[in-house]
Amino acid sequence: MSRMGMCVWVMLALVLAGSAGRASGSGFLANGPLPPVPVPADNPQTDAKIRLGRALYFEPRLSADNTISCATCHNPKTGWANITPTDTGIGKQVGDRNSGTIVNSAYMQFQFWDGRAGSLEEQALGPIHNPIEMGETLDNVVRKLNAIPGYRDMFQDVFGTDATTDGIAKAIAAFERTIVSGPSPYSRYLAGDREAMSPAAVRGQALFNGKGHCSACHSGPLFSDQGFHNLGVGMQVASPNPGRQKVTNKPGDLGRYKTPTLLNVAVTAPFLHDGSEKTLLDVMMFYNRGGVPNPNLDPQMLPLALTKKEMQDLVAFMEALTGTYPVMEAPPLPPDSPASAETGKGGAL
Amino acid sequence: MTRTRMLLMMGIVAMSGAMLPQSGEAIPAFARKYGYNCTMCHSSFPRLNDYGERYRQNAYQLPGRENEEKTVLEGPPPFAVRLSGGYTSYSAQNSPDIQEQEEFLMNGVDVLSSGLLAPNIGYFVTLLPQIDESRGVEAQDGTLESGNVMFSNLGSPWLNVRVGRMEPASSAFSVKRKLSITPYEVYSFGAPGVATLADTQDGIEATGHGRGLAYAVGYLNGSENNRADDAPQDVYARASVVLGAGEGQTAGQRLGVIGYLGQTRPGTDEADGTGDRQDLSRVGFDASLNAMHSNLALQYLVGEDDQLLWGTTEDVEFSGGFAELSVMPCTWIVGFGRFDWVDTPSDIDQDITRWTGGARYYFVDNLALHVEYSHRRQHQPDAPVATEDFAAARLDLAF
Repeated sequence: MSRMGMCVWVMLALVLAGSAGRASGSGFLANGPLPPVPVPADNPQTDAKIRLGRALYFEPRLSADNTISCATCHNPKTGWANITPTDTGIGKQVGDRNSGTIVNSAYMQFQFWDGRAGSLEEQALGPIHNPIEMGETLDNVVRKLNAIPGYRDMFQDVFGTDATTDGIAKAIAAFERTIVSGPSPYSRYLAGDREAMSPAAVRGQALFNGKGHCSACHSGPLFSDQGFHNLGVGMQVASPNPGRQKVTNKPGDLGRYKTPTLLNVAVTAPFLHDGSEKTLLDVMMFYNRGGVPNPNLDPQMLPLALTKKEMQDLVAFMEALTGTYPVMEAPPLPPDSPASAETGKGGAL
Repeated sequence: MTRTRMLLMMGIVAMSGAMLPQSGEAIPAFARKYGYNCTMCHSSFPRLNDYGERYRQNAYQLPGRENEEKTVLEGPPPFAVRLSGGYTSYSAQNSPDIQEQEEFLMNGVDVLSSGLLAPNIGYFVTLLPQIDESRGVEAQDGTLESGNVMFSNLGSPWLNVRVGRMEPASSAFSVKRKLSITPYEVYSFGAPGVATLADTQDGIEATGHGRGLAYAVGYLNGSENNRADDAPQDVYARASVVLGAGEGQTAGQRLGVIGYLGQTRPGTDEADGTGDRQDLSRVGFDASLNAMHSNLALQYLVGEDDQLLWGTTEDVEFSGGFAELSVMPCTWIVGFGRFDWVDTPSDIDQDITRWTGGARYYFVDNLALHVEYSHRRQHQPDAPVATEDFAAARLDLAF
């Protein structure tokens, strides 16, 4: 080899060595650790606001018939999600979407499966006036809360005003920003504990970032690209649910739904936006088939040729994404009136 | 080398590899950019899977993510190196080529650079550095094997243009990304010095795809027997359809047809041919069938070369093809077996048959132990049949 050739090789080796070093940092990992929770400047976190938000989260009186609270469908005991495929609201009305977990929703750029809310504050009010879910008007909710002395005092303490829709939204959002996941086997593995994940999970991680194509969309610390994709779920009917298209009116958004986080996914069955897959293995089989063919199918959806063992390894990896998360009971809720408080008849669930 | 020694050597290599971790993260150029493993795009490196094929067709942008891509200036350096080396055994009988060869060899080094220059503008460069032959090192001519720019999604996925030196889509199965070391005989066959479908070419190619259909048309310099100042004369067109989801690489059943028309000069021992340019053509069909973690690749070609290219009294018509079965039960091993054949008319009598079998064991995504055996027979006019036996056990590395 000529001297010139040797020089080229040495320079190339240096460049590659440098790039390899960069690649080992979290900047180039498909899924690194979670950053601090982002908090909007106009809604800073305070203990009093979080307490108020927690009460409102568990408050069934936000619904028209005083039976449904946020926690009804986003239940802390079931991973802050719902164990039924889709929601059941007031009057036993059944919706068409699965209740996703609120754990780590603070990191999501868009809320709801179709991303129609751009913030937790915007999201918090949505279910209240959704006719199928809580079926209450915002004006009436404000009226009801201001009729409850305990709430009125809490709102005065936090916002210096009586209850308002803005205050309700901000308080619930502040509470939801505290519902984040803690260390998981995966995060410990990422930090250097090579025993933290099982061999199956380690194999699953390699598949997740390779043959399984999962990290093409489930990327970043949240295991979500925060984008919208058409997997074909529900597209086999004549008039499918428009999904993201209902928000943007773009034909290309037909049948697209938000990429959900996979952190703690193992405790939030059933899966997909309509809850149509009962187990994670079912979801793997769905992806292995390449989704459901339709004209707007995401071009990243392809049959994967995964073996059953590989799918089980992927499930093991996703189970390793289960971190600690807050589990709590409903707090004592302000009674309707002093009289009801004396008799212990509050609004607790 | 005796069979015992060879098996012992292969066993030692395999055992040493087995001690390596099974789940490393390969990070060559593209994988490094995204933080993905090689198996995102390769069913068994270097062979592409369906996702990798879509990525390639999309000018090295993730399918459907064109607006989110970073250019080569915004990510890690877009360089990668592929090298291979190991034990090679070759013996030939009744052949003018090397009769006997048994040694540990450094077989080849490729330097690759690829990425996105701007939205929907990608490039791909493969540089082969000059390596002089020495004991244990196989000579390599320094050359720019490929260097092209691709403009994708020109209005729609139905129009993408690649310009420069490229592996044209006239070869339904990539010669550069095939599993075996030994060549696809029918792509290499032709008048002396004319390997029309077996190598990269300079030119311009338009491709398009959608709804399972794809086309490619190209205008190329053609055979190396053309002179440097010859105007391009070669054109080709290819169409394919994929039945079912996928691109026919690891999913879906792909069927294709190809037509190639070109001109070249009769070959000599020199790089360029001499005399006037003469016609050649290739017509064929191909299929890539997938089921149960297996792929069956079928290629059939009919070729016709002008008589002046062969020095015969009539134009030479030949046919041939190959059938290759590869089995990929998981990400760390692939086995393959192939039969190649070429039938030629009696006046040139150069019929070829080749049987090839092999496997690749992946210690990690980007490091494979490659074992292969191939037996080749070629008729020779007025001479005994020439036979070749090729065996290799090599490490194939990309980083």
